[in-house]
Amino acid sequence: MVWTTLQQITQPRVNTPFPANVFRLNNGLTVIHQHLPATPVTVVDVWVRAGASVEPDNWYGMAHFLEHMIFKGSKQIGPGEFDWVVENTGGMTNAATSHDYAHFFLTTAAQNLETILPYFADILLHATIPDDEFLCERDVVIEEIRSCQDDPDWLGFQTLCETVYGESTYGRSILGTEEQVKMRSPNQMRCFHRTHYQPENMTVTLIGGIEQEEALSLLNRAFAEFEVRSECPPRTSILAPIHHKIARTELRLPHLEQARLMMAWTGPGVDKLDDAVGLDMLSVLLAYGRTSRLVKELREEKQRVWDICGEFSLQRGSSLFTISAWLETPHLQEVEGIIQERLDQLQTQPIGEAELARIKRLLMNDYMFSTETPSQLASLYGYYNTISQAELSVTYPQRIANLQAEDLQRIAKRYLTPDRYVVTVMKTL
Amino acid sequence: MPTPHLHRTVLDNGITVIAVENQAADIIAARLFFRAGGRWETLDQAGVFHLMAATMTKGTANLSSAEIAEKVESIGAELGVSAAADYFLLGLKTVTPDFPEMFALAGEILRSPTFPESEVALEQQLTLQNIKAQQERPFNLAFFQLREAMYPQHPYQSSILGTENTVSQLTPGVLEAYHQHYFRPDNLIVSISGRITPDQAIAAVNELFGDWQPPQTEIITPKLPSITAQPSRNALPQQSQQSIVMLGYHAPAVQKQEDYRVLKLVNTYLANGLSSRLFVELREKRGLAYDVSGFYPTRIEPSQFVVYMGTAPENTQTAIGGLQEEVEGLRETPLLPEELQAAKNKLIGQYALGKQTNAEIAQMFGWYETIGVGIEFDQTFPDAIAQITPDQVQDVAQRYFSVSPYVSLVGPEKYISAS
Repeated sequence: MVWTTLQQITQPRVNTPFPANVFRLNNGLTVIHQHLPATPVTVVDVWVRAGASVEPDNWYGMAHFLEHMIFKGSKQIGPGEFDWVVENTGGMTNAATSHDYAHFFLTTAAQNLETILPYFADILLHATIPDDEFLCERDVVIEEIRSCQDDPDWLGFQTLCETVYGESTYGRSILGTEEQVKMRSPNQMRCFHRTHYQPENMTVTLIGGIEQEEALSLLNRAFAEFEVRSECPPRTSILAPIHHKIARTELRLPHLEQARLMMAWTGPGVDKLDDAVGLDMLSVLLAYGRTSRLVKELREEKQRVWDICGEFSLQRGSSLFTISAWLETPHLQEVEGIIQERLDQLQTQPIGEAELARIKRLLMNDYMFSTETPSQLASLYGYYNTISQAELSVTYPQRIANLQAEDLQRIAKRYLTPDRYVVTVMKTL
Repeated sequence: MPTPHLHRTVLDNGITVIAVENQAADIIAARLFFRAGGRWETLDQAGVFHLMAATMTKGTANLSSAEIAEKVESIGAELGVSAAADYFLLGLKTVTPDFPEMFALAGEILRSPTFPESEVALEQQLTLQNIKAQQERPFNLAFFQLREAMYPQHPYQSSILGTENTVSQLTPGVLEAYHQHYFRPDNLIVSISGRITPDQAIAAVNELFGDWQPPQTEIITPKLPSITAQPSRNALPQQSQQSIVMLGYHAPAVQKQEDYRVLKLVNTYLANGLSSRLFVELREKRGLAYDVSGFYPTRIEPSQFVVYMGTAPENTQTAIGGLQEEVEGLRETPLLPEELQAAKNKLIGQYALGKQTNAEIAQMFGWYETIGVGIEFDQTFPDAIAQITPDQVQDVAQRYFSVSPYVSLVGPEKYISAS
């Protein structure tokens, strides 16, 4: 049996049992498997710690551009051949890049996996990045950048992140600019690939209608050989700016039909997961659903905004808490003032029992609704393993249950400061 | 593969109930469809069902807007009401124990909404703003322009939101009149999927809606103008980084099932996924676009076959030519057997992948019933796709792609004006 050579490293570290199994292959690759007997669908999601945050100083846009070039094949597999094999057997594949990761996923009927998996592994591990394909795909990436620049919400969020994080990791544009992308070379890209697409940086999650023995045997064969390592130039570590007061940027755009108010606070990294979960709860409390404080007050009662929503995104080093409102320009100042007051209130008045129960139940059910399919599970485990460890993902409901009103008050005090934040305002030209 | 535990029944008062038992997760999803929506709106009242959907959860005979929101959100359920071109929908998802309570609330919302004047006024303002905000995106502008050209005097002409003109004239009285006419048991399809047996599901529907009697009056069937091809080229100048290039052809309604299926396959071949013809030829080989694709919506009334891309302004004319050549080339050149087979595998396989969550399952069966093709469509569709021949593809291409396309362009003036 192939997997007797594997060392199972799963040790539940908290009380919630982790329903998947985590293995480390002999070459150091981490594999996460969960058998779901009720579904004929199987998902493979490959997570690589090779997002924009590990790009060398001036190699802007590299991680994302490489994600495109992976699909251009290896020595064995021609450009687009992998896409054809997946789709010709009724499956789907795609990829995404952020600061902390690039990930590549495929969904297919379980019986096709044996055919498809070797293709998938080969293009990921042995991308050749042909020169002519590189030049052609560069035009595609530039079109992607252009289409984003025609999207006001993308532009606003980009500006907000740059203001929050400055030159540090999460302030960097993932796509890069047209000029920056034109400065990338195929050689640089091969170097980046061979530095980062190595077993210790990768997690392969395989979830669905395949039993453990078969899954491990397939993965062990497909992900056996990695490229000879390269070493990229280093990335200088730059600290995020500390905002001692309100940092304000304004963006004026043509064709804007409504103004935007986007406010942001940085939260902890994944190492303080309870604080992060608390911020998630606070974002629901403030601006998710009609009963949330800001939606109720500003959209329903005072009718000062067209819409308002809160969002919390967990990142490895520093998470981001945002409140965004779509509104008329004359209301900008008043709305920002009201949000400040509501944050101030959070720090001085504990949350009532009924409200706390509501946000807990809402988030716990939401967690259940987001773990229904193999692709949701594969993505959840893969992401957590990339920024920390997979087992943490299932501790989320328990952490929510444990957090109390005084915890949330402390968390609000620590992170959601009404007098220190970043704000980007967008108005029409 | 037939869906196990699928049941369909019609209650005495005309409600169609579809139930799928799925024990996989501790979740129940319900989709309650009415045969109503954009298609049933008069042109001067476009947007009435969207506004109705937006205000329906904002007051019933027994509950205020805040009370309804509190009930849903304190239990952590998902409940939403929406309108589309061919249906009106209340969607609901709960953990199993919460289902009875939320289902009862859904019944109250659908049967006795009060459309409070202040709530209608608020949602009306929000909708008007939403209509304006849609215009911030070049893709939307191009698609609106295309629909206006392809559907003159037809409800598919405008988005489900309606227009500034029509929405600003809607009143609670208009909403009430539409509600009274279309919301009746013999116009309702309830589709439920999750940890619930078919008997329990049917009993739940009976308990909630069993006392609801249909009125004697006939439901109005909309009289819609026939669609004739009058291709035009429309260009909207805008300072943007990209041009949006969109081509549209008239295409059959879902009821013309044979042509419909062949064109779905053609759409898959041309526009679906990373191995599709448009993606490979125009993006992978020529680098013209990041987003290049197409769609052929499943519709009760005549549909449209659309292909589009966003491209650098100087490539606008090249893009029109490239898209047109790929679509119309199908009239002359038959698909190779392996190309056809690949498209079939893709369509049939991805169709199966679209039925994973309880919400997806409930949605699909309820929708088939609502648009008149019946739940058996789920079983016949894959088999029928497998039978399609290259000759059928060519024949359909000749019949639907012989008239030149409607062209809709949005981008910098210099590049989109007629050459």
